[in-house]
Amino acid sequence: MKYAMLVYSDQSSWDSLSEEESARLRTESMPRWIALFEELGKADPNLVGRELVSASEAKVVRVVDGRTVVTDGPFAETKEQLGGVFLAELADLDEAIRLAALVPTAEHGTLEIRPLATR
Amino acid sequence: MEFLALVYTNPDGWGRLSEAEQAAAYEGYMAVSRDATAAGALVDASELESTAAATSVRVRNGEALVTDGPYAEVKESLGGYYLFSCDSLDEAIDWAAKIPAAWHGGAIEVRPVHVDEEAAA
Repeated sequence: MKYAMLVYSDQSSWDSLSEEESARLRTESMPRWIALFEELGKADPNLVGRELVSASEAKVVRVVDGRTVVTDGPFAETKEQLGGVFLAELADLDEAIRLAALVPTAEHGTLEIRPLATR
Repeated sequence: MEFLALVYTNPDGWGRLSEAEQAAAYEGYMAVSRDATAAGALVDASELESTAAATSVRVRNGEALVTDGPYAEVKESLGGYYLFSCDSLDEAIDWAAKIPAAWHGGAIEVRPVHVDEEAAA
C-alpha cells in the first residue's frame, strides 16, 4: 500500500529565527534526519521525500468564471502548516506509524498518514 | 525547480456534480497528469484516500500518540497532489489552474520545494 506522510508543524517560531540559528538547528537535527531517510529507504528504495519552503510563500490558485485568481496563501489558516511530505510504498499502516514516529518533527508537530487512493 | 500543488477539494461540491460531471472532472485530473508528463513537468501525482482514512501521529515525551482522523478538521480537505518540475512559479500556477478542483469550488495551494544548496552544489 502506498502512503503519504504529511509533516505538519508550527512554522511561525521557525520563521522568526535568524539564518544562522536556523542553519545551526538544521545541522543539529541532521543526524536524525539521515537516520530517518535510511529507515525509509529500507522500507521503500523509491521513496519520495520533499521539504517545502515556508507556508508564508504559498500561493493559492482558483479559477473563477474562467479566470485564474492567485492569492497569497496558505490555503488553510491553521497554526500548524504542511512543511514536508513523504510518499512511500509500505507494508501496512503499522509500518507507516512506526516510521512517522521517527520523524523529528513529530516531537513538536503532527504527522498525518493518508493512504493513496487506487482506482 | 519543483513545486508541490496541493489539491483542496470540497466534498459537498463534488457531491453536487452529476455522474457525467464527475466523470468529466476525473478525466480532467488525468489530463493534467498526461499533459504534464508529456511536457516533462510531472514528478509524481496521486489522489489521497478521504480524511476518514487518516491517522495522526505525535511524539510527546518520547511516547508515540496515535489518533484516528486528519491533523485538522476543515471543510475543504487535502484530496491529492501533483509534484511539478518547472522553470518558474508562474508555470506551476498555469498547471495548477488546469486542475479541476480549482474550478469546482476548491483551491490549489502551490508550494515551492526547498532546495538544499549544499546538496545542489
